[in-house]
Amino acid sequence: MLSMRHLSKAYHTDTIKTQALQPFDLTIEQGEFVAIIGPSGSGKTTFLNITGLLEDFCEGSYELDGVNVEHLSDKAKSKLRNEKVGFIFQSFNLIPELTLYDNVDMPLRYRKLSSKERHERIMDALGKVGLASRRDHYPAQLSGGQQQRVAIARAIAGKPSFLLADEPTGNLDSKMAEGIMALLEDINAQGTSIVMVTHDPNQAARAQRVIEIRDGILSEGKRIEKAIA
Amino acid sequence: MLGYYLKLAFISLKKTPFLSFLMIITIAIGIGAAMTTYTVSYLLAKDPIPSKSEKLFNVRLNSFGPDKPFNIAKGKEVPPTILTYQDAMNLQNAQQGVRQTPLGSFKMMTRGITQPVTEAKMTAIRSAYRDMFSMFDVPFKFGGAWDEVADKEGLQVAVISQELNDKLFLGENSVGKSLLIGESSYQIVGVTDDWYPIPKFFDYRVRAYNKPRDIIIPFNTQINNELWTSSDVSFLCWKEPSDDSFSAILASECVWVSYWVELASEADRSRYLDFLHRYSMEQREYGRFLREPLHQLFNVKEDLVDRKVQKEDGNIALWLAFAFLGVCLLNCMAMMVAKFHTKTGEVGLRRAVGASKQDIVAQFSIETCIVGLLGGGLGLLLAQFGLVVTAQLYSHLYAEMLEMTFGIVVMTIVLAITSAMAFGLLPILHAAKVQPSSQLKSL
Ligand SMILES: Nc1ncnc2c1ncn2[C@@H]1O[C@H](COP(=O)(O)OP(=O)(O)OP(=O)(O)O)[C@@H](O)[C@H]1O
Ligand SMILES: [Mg+2]
Repeated sequence: MLSMRHLSKAYHTDTIKTQALQPFDLTIEQGEFVAIIGPSGSGKTTFLNITGLLEDFCEGSYELDGVNVEHLSDKAKSKLRNEKVGFIFQSFNLIPELTLYDNVDMPLRYRKLSSKERHERIMDALGKVGLASRRDHYPAQLSGGQQQRVAIARAIAGKPSFLLADEPTGNLDSKMAEGIMALLEDINAQGTSIVMVTHDPNQAARAQRVIEIRDGILSEGKRIEKAIA
Repeated sequence: MLGYYLKLAFISLKKTPFLSFLMIITIAIGIGAAMTTYTVSYLLAKDPIPSKSEKLFNVRLNSFGPDKPFNIAKGKEVPPTILTYQDAMNLQNAQQGVRQTPLGSFKMMTRGITQPVTEAKMTAIRSAYRDMFSMFDVPFKFGGAWDEVADKEGLQVAVISQELNDKLFLGENSVGKSLLIGESSYQIVGVTDDWYPIPKFFDYRVRAYNKPRDIIIPFNTQINNELWTSSDVSFLCWKEPSDDSFSAILASECVWVSYWVELASEADRSRYLDFLHRYSMEQREYGRFLREPLHQLFNVKEDLVDRKVQKEDGNIALWLAFAFLGVCLLNCMAMMVAKFHTKTGEVGLRRAVGASKQDIVAQFSIETCIVGLLGGGLGLLLAQFGLVVTAQLYSHLYAEMLEMTFGIVVMTIVLAITSAMAFGLLPILHAAKVQPSSQLKSL
């Protein structure tokens, strides 16, 4: 469960102040699949980064799974991020010199887990995305869609409450994109909340809830009818 | 976690092999130069006999004639650093120290009893009283010092070095066997074990970094047998000997015997100085010692500084070498900045999956330590090479002497790692500070 009250974000560069997000209230329940839509530069990524504790906000308050994150140290925030949040990026962001296995291992390494438990979780996550047999391959040996699957495996290996996905299919063709969407829906169906930024109205339509951001202003979007698709 | 960071470090170093190599070699060159210089200056400045250096004293008497002083240094008259034979014997007979010995030297053809004359070798030989062995903490492999009778009577006995024992007796216990010095047979009573005082404080300045002599015989044996090599001793006179004979040399006012005394403590020094004063006054009654009574006692350290074998102050080469290490490390630092800059994407990603700044700092610190360790290891090899070259360049330093002690080896590695860390810290902290969200657009 995630709850934000009067949250806002502004960037200050030397002379200019950019109000990336206007003050807003938002609650996302466990198990929800939320799509974030909006034009380029409207603040979607900023919203996601704040949600995932990668960036600080300016005003307001934010509770992640009941924890007020405002005064947490870097270490505590990192721990919370590690346990509660899984990130999926448009450009996959796998480490090229690590095998798929080691890439998925990454979030688990920042937890106190036995190597046996890590192994089980890695193989489980790779199995869920259908790439267990390629555990010793390197990212460059995979297609884009497969790479994004590995990134998803990495995100779910830690069993987070939330997946935060920033245009996860933005770099993929429609067939691969469909595979990723199906995978995300599958993960969501098992109880993991998903917040996904997308430019694709069809994808947004598959979410239970749509939030639109325009010039930093959040608004609860109308549920887009599946019929459009 | 350490295992994980080690694995990441090796993957990272392998990813940029050329840059990694440059970083390691830069540290290695700096460390090699610094540690070569450090080792040489450490050995040159070493206390040759730490347990005794405050208790062993070089004795000097102003036995020179009334006309002119032996020497003037910084406007002050200084006595010679060696004594006449008669003064040395007088001090020896007075027995005012805990132990004492005159030191003489000569050269002679030497060979094993069974060796033909053609295999005889010109050998530098030391002469001393038996006290020398205990005064200078000489270790023995076989046997020991000769007895008092040998001292008094000047018997034909010898203590030889382990090296000579290896050569003549194949390393076996040779005590009781004999060797030939000239054509006379000397019975071996002891074989010294590794004994390399650095510097060899009791010898002349030019020989201070040579090995000790292979053969030591009683002082009186040299005298009795009239063994004399003018090229092997400093023989300084204010009045020439009455004739060319050996007895004339002994009776002369020429100085050539260095004289060492061991006192119970530093505090005993003034008592011995008083004794030297009384001795000088007494000698005046025989018409000797007509100059200022300038008797002096120098302990090992003072004597080495006074004879300019060692310097009192730190040496400039060392400072330069460490400055050079600093320059190398700054270079390495620049490479680390570049190296870690290529990793901002990875840092952002690791932060996103839950690594704290501390985790990032730890990961990169391990990588830096490995660079330091490899640089230190390679630096150690370079330093060894540097020492070999130094030994070749300066023939007065014998090669075995120029070896790193275990302490210096450890220090080299520790220095390499700590300096790599010290200079790597800033790049590491800088890398850990990146705003993770700004680095996630692409990797
Ligand atoms: N680090 C930053 N410093 C200053 N301004 C920033 C920073 N990051 C984002 N912004 C600004 O904040 C606004 C929102 O950016 P954001 O990246 O959230 O947009 P977006 O909705 O994700 O756009 P896109 O669809 O193109 O990814 C933009 O005007 C952007 O220029
Ligand atoms: Mg964006």
